Amino acid sequence: MLGRFWRALAQWASQFWADLKSSTDAGLLSIPRFLGLLYGPIDAKLPIDQAFRKALNYRLAPHVGWRHALGGIAYLLFIILVVTGVLLSIHYRPSAQEAYPSVQHIVSQVTLGWLVRDLHAWSANLLVVVILAHMARVFFDGAYKPPRETSWLVGVLLLFVVLAFGATGYLLPWDQEAYWTVTEALNITAAVPLLGGAVAGLLRGDPIVTGATLSRFFGTHVIVLPWMAFALLAFHFTLVRRHGVAPPEKTTGDLGSGRRFFPSHLLRSFMVAVVVCAVVVSLAALFPRPVGDPANPAKMPDAIRSTWVVVDVSRAITHYLGVWGFAGFSLLALGLAFVPLFDRRPERSLRRRPVVATIGVVFFLGLLVAWIAGRNLRSAPPSALGRQAVEQSPLVPAAPQPATAGDTSSERAGPQ
Amino acid sequence: MNARTVLGTIALAVATAWSAAPVGVVRAATIQSVGLQPDTAYGCLACHADKRTSFVQGVHAERGIQCRDCHGGDPAAFELPAAHRGRFIGAPGKVATVALCGSCHSDPNRMRQYGLPSGQVAEFRTSQHGRLLLANGNLDAPTCTSCHDAHKILRPDDARSTVYPTNIPATCARCHENKPLMAKYGLRTDQIEQFRRSAHGVALFRKQNFAAPTCMGCHGSHSALPPTVTEIANVCSRCHALVGQAFGRGPHGQAAHAGKLAGCLGCHQNHDTERVPDDRIASACARCHAAGTRASTLGTQIQQRAVQASQDLQAAERAIGNLTLAGRQTGDARFRYQTALTAYQQIAQAQHSLDFEEMEDLARRVRSISRDLRGMAEVAEEQRWEHKLLLVPVWFLALASLVLAWFALRHLESGGERP
Repeated sequence: MLGRFWRALAQWASQFWADLKSSTDAGLLSIPRFLGLLYGPIDAKLPIDQAFRKALNYRLAPHVGWRHALGGIAYLLFIILVVTGVLLSIHYRPSAQEAYPSVQHIVSQVTLGWLVRDLHAWSANLLVVVILAHMARVFFDGAYKPPRETSWLVGVLLLFVVLAFGATGYLLPWDQEAYWTVTEALNITAAVPLLGGAVAGLLRGDPIVTGATLSRFFGTHVIVLPWMAFALLAFHFTLVRRHGVAPPEKTTGDLGSGRRFFPSHLLRSFMVAVVVCAVVVSLAALFPRPVGDPANPAKMPDAIRSTWVVVDVSRAITHYLGVWGFAGFSLLALGLAFVPLFDRRPERSLRRRPVVATIGVVFFLGLLVAWIAGRNLRSAPPSALGRQAVEQSPLVPAAPQPATAGDTSSERAGPQ
Repeated sequence: MNARTVLGTIALAVATAWSAAPVGVVRAATIQSVGLQPDTAYGCLACHADKRTSFVQGVHAERGIQCRDCHGGDPAAFELPAAHRGRFIGAPGKVATVALCGSCHSDPNRMRQYGLPSGQVAEFRTSQHGRLLLANGNLDAPTCTSCHDAHKILRPDDARSTVYPTNIPATCARCHENKPLMAKYGLRTDQIEQFRRSAHGVALFRKQNFAAPTCMGCHGSHSALPPTVTEIANVCSRCHALVGQAFGRGPHGQAAHAGKLAGCLGCHQNHDTERVPDDRIASACARCHAAGTRASTLGTQIQQRAVQASQDLQAAERAIGNLTLAGRQTGDARFRYQTALTAYQQIAQAQHSLDFEEMEDLARRVRSISRDLRGMAEVAEEQRWEHKLLLVPVWFLALASLVLAWFALRHLESGGERP
C-alpha cells in the first residue's frame, strides 16, 4: 500500500518536472499561450506570422463543448477581479484610520467607483462558485486521472489561493461586519490545536484585530496572492495545452478534428464572456454590497451577516452538523483534493466509479445546500452568545420590559 | 505547685543558662527558646483564626489597625485570661459600636490624611436609623457594622464592598426586604425590586453608569431619611439640574414650593422612576386636571409636540442609517443630528416649565433638521436607483453582440468552411 503510494508520488513528481520544462519552450508567442489566450502548439522554428496563423488554425478536439467553458469563465472572472482590484487600489487606503472613509469615497465620490467595488465583490463570490462547478465537471468527467493529475492538484492550489484572496479581502472595507467576522475567524483559527494560536497571532499581529492586521491582510491580498495566482495559472494553462482537454473514455478518430480555434471557438468564447460580464454588472447594480457601520473594536454587533460564500458554507455546516461535521466535511474535501493520487484507473464512466461518484455527489450537493442555507442564517458571534449568557445570569438583574411606547425615547442615544 | 509552674521553672532555668537574659523578659525569652515569637500585633488570630480571612482583606489591615484598637486585650499574651485582661472590650454592642468607630472616624485630625470625612457619626444621629438606635435604643436599627461589615471593611470603590454602588441596593435590602421586620414600622418591602426596574436601576446595573443614584443617592447614606414633600424637587434636581430649574419656574414648581404638590412625584414615581412616555403626557395631566379645562388642553398640545418631535428624531436616525448603507460620509449629518437630539431633550425640559411656545420652537427645530437629513438620504437613494439604469445600455450591448456573434457562427457553420 505504502509502496504503491510512494511510486505514484514519484511518478507524479517526474511528470511535474517534465511539464515545468515544457512550459518554457516557445518564444514571444508563448506569452498569450502562457496566459491561456491561445490554443495549439507553437513552432519556434517558423517565422512569427506563420506560427501565429498555425496556432489560430488549430482545431480543437471534437468532444469540447459548452460545459468546458467553466474554466474559462473562472479565468474571465479572475481578470475582472484584477482590473477592478487595480482600480480600487488607486483610491483605497490601507490604514485603520483611512480604510473606511476611503471606501465611502470610492462608493460615493469616485466616478463609477460603486460599480468597480460591487463588480469586485460579486466577481469574487461568483469565482468561488464557478471554480467549484469547474472542479465538479472535471471530477465527474474523470478528467483528473493520469496524465492530468497535476492539473487537478494545481487547480486545488488555485482554489486555496482564491479562498485566501477572499479571506484577506474581506477585512479591507473595515466596517463592523468585516471587523467582527475576521475577529471570529481568527479566534476559530486560534482554537485549532498545536499551531492555531501561533498562526492566528502571526496573521493578527496584535492582541486584537487592528491596523497591524489590516496591513498584513492588504499586503497579502495585493502582492503575495496575485503573484502566486499568476504563477499557478500559467502552469495550469500550460498543462491544459500540453495534455489537451480530457477525451471521453471510448474515443475514436482524430483528436484534432473539432472546431477551429479561430474564429469558431473564439466567437463562442466571446459569447460566453459577454453573458458573464452582463450578469456580473447586473448583480453589482441590482444587489450592491452595503457599507456597514465603521469598525469599532469596543462595540460588538448583535449578529454578523455574511456576504462571503465561504463563510456562508462553513457557518451552515457548523450550525447543522456541529464542529465534528465541519471537521468531517473538511476531511472529505481534503480527500477529494488528493483523489488523483489514489484513483488512477482509467475508467471515466460514472457507472463504473460508484464510490467516487457517491462521495463527489455528496460533497458538491452538500456544498450547494450549505451555501443556500448559510445565506439565510443570521448568526450571533460566539462571544456575543457569551455576553448574552452573562446578561441572562441571575447575578445581573433582568432587563426592563421594552414594551412601553415611550421607551425608544428614553433609550435613545445618538448614533455615533 | 502545679505542672505549669514546674515547666516554667525548668524553662526559666534553661533559658537563663543559655541566654543569660534579665529576669524581666524571661517569659518572652522562654517562648523564643522553644521557637515561638510573641505576636504583639495580631496574636489574637492564634485563637480567633476565623476572623483572619475577612480582616486581612479590609482597609484597616492595610493601614496597620490592630485587633486591640477596637477590641482591647493583649495580643502578645498566650493564655486566655492574660489576653482578655486590661482594657478589654470584646464584641461591642450596636450602640457601643457607633461610639467605637466614631472614636477615630469623628476625629478630623486623624481622617484628614486619608481624605475621609469625619461627620458620619453626627450625620448618623440625625438619620432615622440613628434616632432609633441611639435615642430609643432600638436594636432593630442598623449600626456601622451592619452595612460596612465588622472585619472585612472595604473601600466604597472596591467592587467586593457592601457599599460599592451596585451592591448598595442589596445591602439595604438585607433589612428593607425583610417583611416581618418592616411590618413593625409600616414600611414597604418592594422598593428595591421597583428600583431595579426603574431608569436609575437600569442605568446602574445594566449600563454600569455610576452617575445613576443608588438608594443613598436620594436618601443619603449615614443620614438616611426619606425626603419630605418640599424637599423632593431639590433632591431630584441635584442631578436633573436644568429640568429642576425649569420646574421651579413653572406653575407646578411654585405649587411644590408651597407644599401643595409632591414635587416631581406628581408625575413620576419615586422608586420605579421612569420618564413619562411622550404618548402618555396627556393622561398624566388627566390624573389631576379634569377634561376640558385649559390645563388639560395644554397637556394634549404638549403631548402632540413631543410625539411629533420624537417621530422626527427617529426619522432622522433612519435617514443616517440609510446614508451609511449607501456609503455616504455622514459626519455632517451626525453633527446635525446631535443638534436635533439636544433640541429634543430641551423639549423635555420645557415641558417642566409648561412653556408651550418654547416647546413649539424646539419641535420646529427638530423637524427642520430631520427634514434636511431625510432629503439627503432620499438624494442618495435616488442616485443608487439611477445606478440600475446602467443595465439598459449594458444589456443592449450584450444582446446585440450575442445576436451578431450568433449570426456569424451560423454563417460560418452553414458556409463552405468546415467549422
